Amino acid sequence: MTVRKRLLGWLADLALILYFLFALFPIAWMVILSLKPANELFSTYFSFTPTLDGYRTVLGDSEGIPFVRFFVNSLVVSVGAVVLSLVVGLPAAYASARWRFKGSENLMFTLLSFRFAPELTVIIPLFVLYQKLGLFDTYVGMIWVLQLVTLPLIVWIMRSYFADLTPELEQAALLDGYTRKQAFFKVALPLVKPGIAAVSLLAFIFAWNNFVFPLILTSNEAQTVTVGALSFLGGDRPKYNLTAAAALVSVVPPLLLALTIQRYLVRGLSFGAVKS
Amino acid sequence: MDTHVHDRRRFLALTAGAAATPLLAACGAGFGSDDKKSDGSAADDVTGSFDWKREKGRTVKALLNKHPYTDALIADLKSFTAKTGIKVEYDVFPEDNYFDKLTVDLSSGRASYDVFMLGAYMVWQYGPPGWLEDLGPWMRNSSATGAEWDQADFFPNLLQADQWSLKAGAPLGQGGQYALPWGWETNVVAYNTEVFGKLGLKPAETFDELREIAGVIKRKAPAAGYDGMYGIAVRGSRSWATIHPGFMTMYARNGLHDFTVHGGKLRPAMNTPEAIAFTQDWAGMVKQGGPPSWTSYTWYQCSSDLGAKKAGMLFDADTAAYFQAVAGASPASGKIAFHPGPKGPDGSLATNMWIWSLGMNAKSRKKSASWLFLQWATGKEHLRKAAVTNNHIDPVRKSISQDAAYKDKMKHLPGFIETFETVVDQTKIQFTPQAQFFDATTSWAAALQEIYGGQNAKSVLNGLAGDLASKVG
Amino acid sequence: MGWRLTLRPYFLIVPALLLTCGILYPFGLGLYYTLFDFSASKPQPDMVRFENYRTVFTQDAFWNSAWVTVLYAVGAAAVETVLGVAVALLLHRSSLVGRVLEKILILPLMIAPVIAAIMWKLMLQPSVGVVNHLLKPFGLGGVQWTDTPTGALLSSIAVDVWVYTPFVAILALAGLRSLPTSPFEAAAVDGAGWWYTFRRLTLPMLWPYVLVAVIFRFMDSLKVFDIIYALTEGGPGDSTVVLQIRAYLEAIRFQRYSFGISYTIVLWAVVYLAAMVLVRHLGKIQRKAAEAK
Repeated sequence: MTVRKRLLGWLADLALILYFLFALFPIAWMVILSLKPANELFSTYFSFTPTLDGYRTVLGDSEGIPFVRFFVNSLVVSVGAVVLSLVVGLPAAYASARWRFKGSENLMFTLLSFRFAPELTVIIPLFVLYQKLGLFDTYVGMIWVLQLVTLPLIVWIMRSYFADLTPELEQAALLDGYTRKQAFFKVALPLVKPGIAAVSLLAFIFAWNNFVFPLILTSNEAQTVTVGALSFLGGDRPKYNLTAAAALVSVVPPLLLALTIQRYLVRGLSFGAVKS
Repeated sequence: MDTHVHDRRRFLALTAGAAATPLLAACGAGFGSDDKKSDGSAADDVTGSFDWKREKGRTVKALLNKHPYTDALIADLKSFTAKTGIKVEYDVFPEDNYFDKLTVDLSSGRASYDVFMLGAYMVWQYGPPGWLEDLGPWMRNSSATGAEWDQADFFPNLLQADQWSLKAGAPLGQGGQYALPWGWETNVVAYNTEVFGKLGLKPAETFDELREIAGVIKRKAPAAGYDGMYGIAVRGSRSWATIHPGFMTMYARNGLHDFTVHGGKLRPAMNTPEAIAFTQDWAGMVKQGGPPSWTSYTWYQCSSDLGAKKAGMLFDADTAAYFQAVAGASPASGKIAFHPGPKGPDGSLATNMWIWSLGMNAKSRKKSASWLFLQWATGKEHLRKAAVTNNHIDPVRKSISQDAAYKDKMKHLPGFIETFETVVDQTKIQFTPQAQFFDATTSWAAALQEIYGGQNAKSVLNGLAGDLASKVG
Repeated sequence: MGWRLTLRPYFLIVPALLLTCGILYPFGLGLYYTLFDFSASKPQPDMVRFENYRTVFTQDAFWNSAWVTVLYAVGAAAVETVLGVAVALLLHRSSLVGRVLEKILILPLMIAPVIAAIMWKLMLQPSVGVVNHLLKPFGLGGVQWTDTPTGALLSSIAVDVWVYTPFVAILALAGLRSLPTSPFEAAAVDGAGWWYTFRRLTLPMLWPYVLVAVIFRFMDSLKVFDIIYALTEGGPGDSTVVLQIRAYLEAIRFQRYSFGISYTIVLWAVVYLAAMVLVRHLGKIQRKAAEAK
């Protein structure tokens, strides 16, 4: 290894570290915030008396905010949304990748276009509609509306995965007597498992962090963590320590999910987006 | 061929038109406003002698904002249920999103919530479309309202502030009572006694003095041991909430108006020569002695800066300083005193106020039960307990503000009670009631930001006035 | 059996469309409402046809908002793309540092944007914020991040970049890891320099992967609300009032519902057109890349 190469290597690592300092500093600081007592929030930086009171308040459902219930709601709704999107989206992605049929591009673009509408356009009619249909403040209602967020993402990314598969493997299966359905489940699906894992994580994160729909379309039964975390900023003193604690607690499920599928995550997306 | 196309088009147009109205109605458009003027109020249905247990077994849904008043209410709900047999279900929302939620709910015409919190300005927005129940008939019906509720006990200007005839420019205090005052805030000056002592300062009696003191603090306090302290914390974000506290209070004390009323029409008055001069001075004060990054300053930043000893003074709600001043709340606890603030040139102490009020949904199906809840929540018993044991201040009832236990609690805050009693009679809503209030004040705040940023005050304010003249009036 | 086979792909797609088609009704309704003049002061609206749109397009405020929106979207998407690809390239080297840091790459994406903006606002507050505190030894302790129009816009873009760069980086890194090795080996044998390899091989082959991420980011940035609103509320002056903020203020804050929603319809049209252009471009690139392989 030449000196020049080694130097460049170090510079590259340095650049990487600089980026991650930028990326992680706010999170480290949020951890610090969450451990500060409320009266030291604005007067200390790094030297303070750490306390777990923030977490105790958040997880203890005090201050009139049933945070734990919100947490469970978020879990149910996000997992439900992603699962539903997978069940419905994977066949759609497969179909549009495997077969050239009339209007396929248009249909796919239409599916993507549902994501273009600003939430504001639909939020009040949706609010009224949901109340009339009895979907207001229900898990079903939230899972359905979050399809707008998760389904286009899953379909569009998985589409490239399926397209990247060489048809020969499935042809072989068909020749062996498998039906197309069996070929899909036994051959195609396992091969794109990495992609499924990866895109599920991204979809889960977007569903989990969604703010506007839970704000308007739920009241206290199906409310989610993002609104819950903000609820600690009230009318006397802004208790950023509680919001930070709540936000960090909320990071745990997506983080766990990310760590579990870590090995698929990056290698997984490797087949995406190239074949048309 | 031609006629076919023509007929088809006409047919489609007709069906579309015919489908439109039921479609709109089916989706709640016409959005909650009742076309038929209901003759008489639901209050008239209540007869007989007053009885707390009249609506036993019912459930009332309340939309609440995360606030100490809410905390006090929730802590005391059990006694309400014990007294009346009515169950209360509540949703608490973060303050920044609370009114979004309320607006969507009311404008959709669904009565998801029977009672909710709102401010006086919101009456100007929710009142005209008919979303708020007129509580006047309920108050005047002795079968619906018990004698202990004692309407005369409220500070009169507070009840009046929530009372409006729904006509633009018409003064408050006439017409329907669309909300009940629940807790309120006067806008006064709070200051750090330590820094004032060290620099040999006294609270300002005129606006010029205030600006000077702000500059002095910003220049000298850091060297005197107050790292990074500036003179005066005032709000500056692009929102109605920037104009409403300190700015409007000082504006009104200078005898200035937001709009002038000429035969039922409103004319913007933010660009009179005196108003322009004042606005320039205010922006100058912020530059010389105000917070850095002022254009993003809200209640949170202002009050926490006072508590963190970054601001020498705060010209905002008295409760904002109160929450920083109580023992253990912040580094400045125990060193914050209150003062009515500078007087106007003719000695005026006109003060603007914010009143958290409780209102009832005009579409509620449980009005009688809701009225019992409103009565209790604004009643002497709950409010006294909330003021003394929790932090439900300032009290809207004269009896509570004179209550010995309350006074005892507040006397630890130097100047709080004296300041309150000095300004209370001159405190009212200083704005002119009109339905475009939020648009007008948001644009006003944006204009103030532009002036702070160096643009010419006269042209900015003339532009503002021209813009508002077409929207209001 | 013939027709069933031809219809099969449609059958497979129908559920997905059914699920999402439900939104057409509220959307259509929203669109329909813009033809009226519904507002809090006019709860019994009249049909005004396209009057709202005419007002929108003749308002200075609209063009200002449109300009700021485009600036923001282009700025944020561009920085995220460049930074994301750069990070991906650096991680692709698989150095020890890289392998460790890769595991936490996704963390910023996990913080809800609205909360991230609030935290950044606190960090950037000169009086008590930690960023100014850390910059004090360098003499930069007095920088006011959001007080000028440029500063406000750049700070908002910075928060967007902070949250979403991992999204691009992850997709880019995956793309890098899936590129065929033979072209690179051949280039190395031929003695090609790093820059040459990058320009002629890496970038063209990687670009289709990255473009999908860019499309999603650009579309979402055009619709930005949370980040800017939490940071600046649209100030100072009107300098960061993007289209969705303007729409929100008009529709919900000032209760001029029909007018505000007209803003969102215009925004939707802009996003739609931009997406159409980008997706068509994506298709072209994908075909080119497939041929190159």
